[in-house]
Formats: sequence, structure tokens, C-alpha cells
Amino acid sequence: MAGLERQRQLLDFALSSLARRPMKNLASLTVYTAVVFLLSSVMLMSHAIRREAAALLAGAPELVVQRLVAGRHDLIPTDRLATIRAVRGVAAAGGRLWGYLFDPAVAANYTFLVPPDRSIAAGTAIIGSSVAAVRGVGPGDVMSFRGYDGRPVAFTVTSTIAAESALVAADLFLVSEGDFRRLFGIPADRFTDIVVTIRNPREVRTVAEKIDAALPDARIILRDEMRRTYESVFDWREGMVLVLLVGAILAFAIFSWEKASGLSADERREIGILKAVGWETADVIGVKMLEGLVMSLTAFLAGYGLAFLHVFHFGARLFEPVLKGWSVLYPEFPLAPSVDEIQMASLFFFTVFPYTLATIVPIWRAAVVDPDMVMR
Amino acid sequence: MLFHPVIIALLLSSLTSTAMVGASVPFAVRLLRRWDLASGSEAQLLLERRTYLVSTLVQLVLLAQLASLVLFVFNADRMASLFTGAMCAVGTLEADRFGFPALYANIALFFLAAAWLTLDHVDNRGWDYPLIRVKYAALLTLAPVLALASLAELAYFLGLRADVITSCCSTLFSGGGITVAGNSLAALPHGLALVLLCLTLLAVFALGLRFLVGGRGGTAYGAASAAAFPVALAAVVSTLSVYVYELPNHHCPFCLLKAEYGHVGYALYIPLFAATACGIGAGIAQRCADRASLAEAAQRTARCLAGWSLAGFAAFAIVAVCLVARSHLILFGPSAWRPLAEFVVGGGR
Amino acid sequence: MSTLRVRPSTVLFAILAVGGVAFGTTCVEACLGPGRAAVRLARTARLAERLQLTDLCLFTEARYTRHASQADRHAAFQDHPAALEHFPSGSLMPPSGAANRASP
Repeated sequence: MAGLERQRQLLDFALSSLARRPMKNLASLTVYTAVVFLLSSVMLMSHAIRREAAALLAGAPELVVQRLVAGRHDLIPTDRLATIRAVRGVAAAGGRLWGYLFDPAVAANYTFLVPPDRSIAAGTAIIGSSVAAVRGVGPGDVMSFRGYDGRPVAFTVTSTIAAESALVAADLFLVSEGDFRRLFGIPADRFTDIVVTIRNPREVRTVAEKIDAALPDARIILRDEMRRTYESVFDWREGMVLVLLVGAILAFAIFSWEKASGLSADERREIGILKAVGWETADVIGVKMLEGLVMSLTAFLAGYGLAFLHVFHFGARLFEPVLKGWSVLYPEFPLAPSVDEIQMASLFFFTVFPYTLATIVPIWRAAVVDPDMVMR
Repeated sequence: MLFHPVIIALLLSSLTSTAMVGASVPFAVRLLRRWDLASGSEAQLLLERRTYLVSTLVQLVLLAQLASLVLFVFNADRMASLFTGAMCAVGTLEADRFGFPALYANIALFFLAAAWLTLDHVDNRGWDYPLIRVKYAALLTLAPVLALASLAELAYFLGLRADVITSCCSTLFSGGGITVAGNSLAALPHGLALVLLCLTLLAVFALGLRFLVGGRGGTAYGAASAAAFPVALAAVVSTLSVYVYELPNHHCPFCLLKAEYGHVGYALYIPLFAATACGIGAGIAQRCADRASLAEAAQRTARCLAGWSLAGFAAFAIVAVCLVARSHLILFGPSAWRPLAEFVVGGGR
Repeated sequence: MSTLRVRPSTVLFAILAVGGVAFGTTCVEACLGPGRAAVRLARTARLAERLQLTDLCLFTEARYTRHASQADRHAAFQDHPAALEHFPSGSLMPPSGAANRASP
């Protein structure tokens, strides 16, 4: 218990020493908290999105076959369906019809899609929540677009997709097959791409190779790859963000170094007196490290807590401009709170480690001061 | 693959650590050549002052290394989903040829760092810098290991590519696959592995109690706990893992960390690593007790560490027994015990 | 030290305790989070499966970021050979998993 009490006395001392220079320490605590806040917001949000993606795309098509012409995605002829169905291991194959439409009225891109079950009646449409919001339309309203030949194609909105599904469906515009072909001028013997169902999930790769051999102009996308696309969304780019933020961390490290090394005459006196009354160099270093630890812990808890509130309770408002970019349609999606231990650990590495490292040398320099030099 | 937050954090810590320790190597050399506590020269004063800086730096760096081993393994396990064919950390580590060397180097570094930190802790208890030469000589041997570990880690992360199809534990630890250390460990007969584990742990407990009660044999205890580590790992790979997975041919030591198996690996590895590190530390501290200024402090530290170490080994043993007891797999039927009994009675072939 | 004065360390412990409780709350919330969102997620996942959706609607500004998994590595350059990627979201969205593969 004596050891604990001694530590607590040292802590008391460190705290009162911090409290003697409130403005200076508050300023650096604020900067520290802000750095933690930014970093952890990025990490929390990307982790949450990755998690949602994994859950949402679990039922994505097993194989998508696209046709490439001169290196560009092109419409795929219907006769390819027969070729694909003939490949051993293929359970079913169906054409998908989807594409983009630029709506000049609000300068937004919609994703037009024909549901695979063709359940939409001609002349009607089901729209995503963001489309409804940006155009200000609801069930019963009529929306009209210029077709490929200049003739207008009109749709009566029958319903909107619930906003809770915005993360996958915000910009969707579900229409019937006939309307889709009429709007974009797609002949009846063409699809956008082909979706393949495989009999045995373990044979996906083999089947993909066989389809590739049968259709040399095809590009094949596996479900695994779709999943992995979102597994690494923000991941390496998040890394880029972090690399950029390393600049901020470095600046912060320099700031802490400056703060710690810019010892005022008062502080030097204080340390000199401590040593004169018998403190060891190691004790002084200990107290100063304790000060740093208090700062780190407080800043980490505060910054992380604020980031959690920001991302999961305030919809990551600060990042909206970044994520939005130039898009007009921006899905408002709630994210289920989730925390990744490993990210938290690396966050700790990113913030506490540089800070502590940066303050060591100044602390040491202060701690080895000769008492008589200071008090003379 | 470099731009992955955890990878950046790991590299950041290992490279700065290497830089810091590297920067203190010239100082260590100077100290080893010039240190003379009796002298009042300015050079000696400067040396004395500077040791505080270097000690604090190295302390911090080594603490970071201890944490980064955990992060490294955890990350390897997590990244498995990014590689085709990888299901756990083995696949991630196999994805580049520097993966396993980096892991082994980090484990070696973990124990060396723990040993150095013990040395430092004990040294600070004495007033006359009793271990200063030993400490800095040890730093000189530790520096190259740290550098190697960092380089291996860097090479590993630079070489990682998400499109590599990697092999997983099912081929690595099932025999007949690629030969790595794990393979030969996996081939260890279950009975032999368990008997070895029991004997080693019994020896460790006996030596530890003897040290705690009688105050003698601290060094022997350190050696015993160092020896217990590989034996325990071998037992985990060859037998305990089989009990957990309830599959006779699945030996992977990393799948234990996964949520499917209740993260039971952490309950095994954390006590084991801590116990080994503390045990080695106890041995080292006990060796230091011959310095006049440390006689009492070193002994106290050694006892404390030995206590923790024993607790760790006990925790490991309890978890291991629970795993065997809970498992639905029966490796040793009544008939299977006979050769085992003969083996024990015969004292091994 | 008089008994009436609060020790600074007590204040710090109080602050850290509050921070710790807040931290614990976030962890609890994170554990409960997926459970509470399960219904919403399940409904959305069913919708995605029914419509055979392949991508998240994160960035609607460019073809290759709206359906990132369907785009190839050169999608950003499709407008003409030297067209550098110029949509802001291109800096947040990686090329698709399929683009990293040499052959099928």
C-alpha cells in the first residue's frame, strides 16, 4: 500500500504542476483530443460501413458475366445465356438490365434497374428514398425522362423504397423491362450483364474459368471479389487518409515537443528546487511522464467518445462533404454502432506513442538540470 | 497492402523503435568503454545523465514492441479475409515468405524485451548503477534482433498482395503439406505431447515453489520456464488444438484465436507468454542478487515475478485441462492408455 | 494537507471514471448495435438479394464509384486515355477486387 500511496502523491504533484499552467496545457489537450477525434472518426466509420457491406452483400450474385468490347463494358447478347447454361456446374443464368440516367433537372445520376422478377407494371416505377427526396416526388406523381430517341418516357411512381435501405437503394429507379429498353434503346436481344448461379459454391472458380474459356470476350466478377471490394473500401484509401493525417500527427508531435521543451524559467526553478530537496532524476522523469500519461489518457477517452457520438449519433456530419463529393444524391444511412478492438489498438499506437516519444527528450533535458544552475 | 491502418501503426512503431534503439547503440558502446563511477570527470557526468534518457526511451520502445506482437498476430488473423484461400492467420502469414520469419522474430524480440525491461527495473533499484554495463551490453545484443524483426516485418508487409492465393492451415498443419516447423510439431504423438507437457509443468511448479519457499533456485526456475514455452506450444499444436476443434487432423494454432472457438487461444497464449516472460525475468533478477546494492531488491523482484509466472502457468494448465475435459473428442480410449502407460513406465524409448 | 481540500488525484480519478464509463457504454452499444439493427439489416439484405444488387450506394457521382465492384481498373480513364480520375469519391473508393486479379 505504501507504494500505491507514493504513486498517488506523485500523481497529485503532477496534476498540480499541470494545473499551474492551465492555458498552455488546456491548449495542448484540445489539440490532442482533436487529433484523436479525427482519427477515430475515420476508423469507426469505415469499420461500420465495412460491416454493413458484408451483411448486405452476402446475398449478392455469385457470378456476374460482363462483355468487354475494346476494353469497355458492352451490352451482352442473349445467346450467351445458352452458352453459359451449357457450362457444367451452372445452375441458372439470367440477364440483368441496369444502367445510369443523368437527370438534368437536378443534375443527379439515377441507377435504373429492372427487378429480376419483372414485377413492375409498364409505365410505373418504384424509386429510392434519395430520388424521392431530391425530386420531391411521392407515390402517384409522374416523372418523365427524355428517351434515347428524344421521345419522352413517363413513369408513375407507385411507391418508394424505405429509407432504412438507403445504403443499397437510395438512387434506385425500378422500372419494367419494356420501359427500360424503350428509354435507352436497348434491343430485345441484349442484356446489361448476366448473373450466374452455381450449383456447388466450392466450384465457383472452376466454373468461372470454364465460362471464361467459352466466352473469350467476357469479364467475370465473383461474389468474393464484390465482397472484397467493400472489405477494402476506405481501407487502403483510409490508409491514404492516415498517411495524410500522419502529417497532422507529426505537426502535433512537434507541437508537443515544443510545448515540453519550452520550459519556462518557473518550471526550471521548480525542477531545480525539487532536485535540491533530494529528488532523483528518475523521480522527476517519472512525474513528467505521469503528466504525459494523464494528458494522453484524457485526450484519448475524450476524443474517442466524441468520435463515437459523431459517427453513430450524429451521422458523421463532418465527413458528409467529403463523402458527398459532387454527387447530388447522397444516401442518409444510419450505421449500427460497432467497435473494432484492433482499430482501437492501432489508434492508440497512432496517438499515444508519437506523443510520448516526442516528449521524452524535452522531459529528460529538464530533468537533468543542475539545481545550482537554476537557482543561482 | 501498405496502406492499411494497422499495418501503418505496426510499421510506425517498429521503425521508430529501431531508429531509437539504433541511435542509442553508439551511446551504449561509449558507455561500455568509458563508464567509471568513481570518476568525477565531465564525460562521466554526461554519461550518467544520458543513461536516464536512453533508459526511458528504450523502456518505451520495448513496451511498444510487447504490445505490437499482440497487434501483429491479431492483425494477421483479421486480414485473412483479404486473401483468397486464407481462413486464419496462417494464410495471411503464408501469403509472403517473410510472414513466419517476421512472427518468429517478433516472438524472440518479445522475450528479449521483457528480459531487458526486468534488468532495467532491477538496475533502477540500486543506487550505484549496479547493472549498467550488463544492461547496455544486453542492449547491444537486442538492437540487431529488433532491427531484423523490423526489417522482416517491413519486407512482409511490402510483399503482401491481396491477389495471392495462399494456402491455409488445413494444408500446413495436416501433415503431407508444406513443411514448416508446425508440421513436425503436429506430427508429435498426442500421448507424448501431453506427457511432456505434464512433466514440464510439474517441474516448473516444483522449482517455482522451491524458489518461493526456500528462496533458492531462481535461475533454474528461469531456465525451466524458458524450456516450458516450446513444450507448451508443441502441446498446443499437436494435441490441445485437436481437442478444441474436435477434428483429428486440424492442428492450427491460430484458429484458436477465432470467435468460432470462443477466442480460447487468448486464454491459452496470454498466460503462457506472460508466464514465460515473468519466469525468465525471475531468473535474471535472481542472478542480479549477487550485487551488493541489489541483494534485497533483486530478491524481492525475483520472488514477485516468480509468483506471477507461476500463476500464469497455473492459468495455462487450468485452461488446457478444461479444454480437454470439455471436448467431445476422445483421443485416448481405454486401450490407448496402455502404450502410454508402457511408455511412461519404460521411461521412453 | 487539510481534509477539506479535494486531492487533485481524486478529481482525476473521477474524470477518468466518467471517461471509462462512457467508453464502456460505447462498447456495450457496439455489442448491442448489430442486434438492434438486425431487422433493418436483414430487410435490406433481402432487398439487395431480390434485386441482385452488387454494390453499396455510397457515391453516386461516377459510374466507377457507384458500382465499384462492376468497374474495372481503367474505369477512371474511360472518357479518354489521359483522363485522370477527377471525381472526389475516386479518392475514397478502391478499384474492385476483380480488377486486382490477373486472369479469372
